[in-house]
Amino acid sequence: MIIRNFGVRHGRQVLSAPPSAPSCLRLLSTQTTTAVAGNEAAVEQLAALSATHAAREARLAAKRQEREIAAMPSKFKKFIAYQKETEKLGSEIERRYLPDEIIRNPPHDASLEDLLAAQCHMGHHVSRWNPANSRYIYGQRSDIHIISLEQTAAHLRRAARVVEEVAYYGGLILFVGNRKGQMPIVTRMAEMAGACHLFQKWTPGCITNKDVLLQGGQLKIVDETDRELQGFDEHLRDCRPVTPDLVVCLNPLENYSMLRECAVATIPTVGIVDTDADPSWVTYQIPANDDSLRSVALIAGVLGRAGERGQQRRLEDAKQGVVAWQTPKDVTTFVNRVNKNIKAEAAAKEKKRLAEGGPDDNGLKPADLMTEEEVLAEMFGPGAVPSKY
Amino acid sequence: MARGPSRLLASRVHQTATEHLSSTIYPNTYNPPPPWVNALANIPPSEIWTRPYPEQHSLTPLHLPKSRKTPPKSLYRPTKIAHPEDRLRKDFYGDHPWELARPKLLMEIDGKDARYYDWSKGMRQKGMKLSGESVVQRQLWLMEVGGMTKKQAYDKARKEFYQLRRFEETEARIAQEEARAYGAYFGKTVTQVGMELEDKEYNAWLKWAGEEIEGQEMERQAAYANDIDLPEVEGEEVVDA
Repeated sequence: MIIRNFGVRHGRQVLSAPPSAPSCLRLLSTQTTTAVAGNEAAVEQLAALSATHAAREARLAAKRQEREIAAMPSKFKKFIAYQKETEKLGSEIERRYLPDEIIRNPPHDASLEDLLAAQCHMGHHVSRWNPANSRYIYGQRSDIHIISLEQTAAHLRRAARVVEEVAYYGGLILFVGNRKGQMPIVTRMAEMAGACHLFQKWTPGCITNKDVLLQGGQLKIVDETDRELQGFDEHLRDCRPVTPDLVVCLNPLENYSMLRECAVATIPTVGIVDTDADPSWVTYQIPANDDSLRSVALIAGVLGRAGERGQQRRLEDAKQGVVAWQTPKDVTTFVNRVNKNIKAEAAAKEKKRLAEGGPDDNGLKPADLMTEEEVLAEMFGPGAVPSKY
Repeated sequence: MARGPSRLLASRVHQTATEHLSSTIYPNTYNPPPPWVNALANIPPSEIWTRPYPEQHSLTPLHLPKSRKTPPKSLYRPTKIAHPEDRLRKDFYGDHPWELARPKLLMEIDGKDARYYDWSKGMRQKGMKLSGESVVQRQLWLMEVGGMTKKQAYDKARKEFYQLRRFEETEARIAQEEARAYGAYFGKTVTQVGMELEDKEYNAWLKWAGEEIEGQEMERQAAYANDIDLPEVEGEEVVDA
């Protein structure tokens, strides 16, 4: 190695690079530094050098970290001060549009402005119209039909009243919307109205062929305050599947078979009728745009709220003892049959006990099965007790 | 929907259900109506299929044919909705077609946006971006309330608009310059990106064309080579034979 050229050749590298033991050794010695067998002293020296270097590095890093931590509070204070100073700069958004808001918290009634903002007035291309809808159409513009929002609002209120009343009378409501993106809308409105929902394909025959298609579906018997009643297992096993009392359809065009089944089975239906739909498919029409999710969400939200009101009214009245609905015929038949069996069993037991002349094993006396007046008549003979009136 | 009277099935569900319930075959049996029958007793469905004479929207009166022999056509069709702004809008965008290329907000939150604007106060409105619609609305206000003719109002509105646009553009340019001075960079411009894409296509074509030329040259050479080879092969065969 030529020593006089050392500074020229390696000076820059040596000064800039961190002092590392292997490179120094390499520059200052002519002999090889690779650990070969029998050169253990050199290997030990190398290890000791690198160990001291690493320790020094670690000490330096720890000191640096301490310094940084010590500087942190003042820096944080400065940051907070800067944030306070600048937080009033720039623009503020006063009103913002949240697409989910109309699903999460729908209004109880839709004003004409709400309907307009939700684009309920947009119909289809004029060539696709169904002339049966002409009384819902306000005019045409840019080759599409514009639905009259006054008609929409009036029909929507009527439909909301229908949903509310059916919920109040304890009817089973089904909400159907099986277009893409309608799932959250349908589930939310069913949740509000305490109803059932369908966001997939309607299986044709679920009403007209219910005994086959819906066999074994889960049912429960509830009282007027919606508490489940026990002792109806036998009935629930044997009874027929139920049909809804009201069907609300958000897209009638895709659900023709369902609406037809409802009409045949005399189930009232509510549907959103766009300018290309047939208003005679449903019982209660709501002329509106059924292609915009915002429009559908607004209308569905109003109907869901109506159902919610109906359920609340029903439960409040039930607490006061007012029940607007009557027990279905099959349930009444079952209850009567069960009562009759119980009475027959008791009578048989009584007869058996009398025949044997043994003591009453269950503690029941004939007097327990009689009314008060019958007992008195038994004791004192008929006519002994004067009638109250 | 089915044809005939069954088209009315859906509309007449309540009548059908009450008829079924009032059956006199077993008059004394317990037969409660389904819950909806009582619920909907006082809410009849609205009438359907009626075609009222539609509202007439055209600004000019309807021209009916003079002859009694030809009945008026499409009397019951919905008419076209026309607004006084339509013509003004068409004129403005005809003169300034590139205004249509600017982004536009189509959505309303509460549907009352038109009530928040006051066109007597000038072109700038709170919550509305400056656009051709501002010119149209301002012009209409000047015509209807300011008592100007269409041309005068257009000139006034459009000059206000030009001034505000100039102001906006200058503001944007200065903001950009300031940002650049503070070290911001905005990447490539649209033109640069377009030129790069174009260059890429040219280079790809150049490569493809070179390959094509090479292939054709090789084919040509191969064809000549066969011509030369043929007599030799024949000669060899002759020699072998």
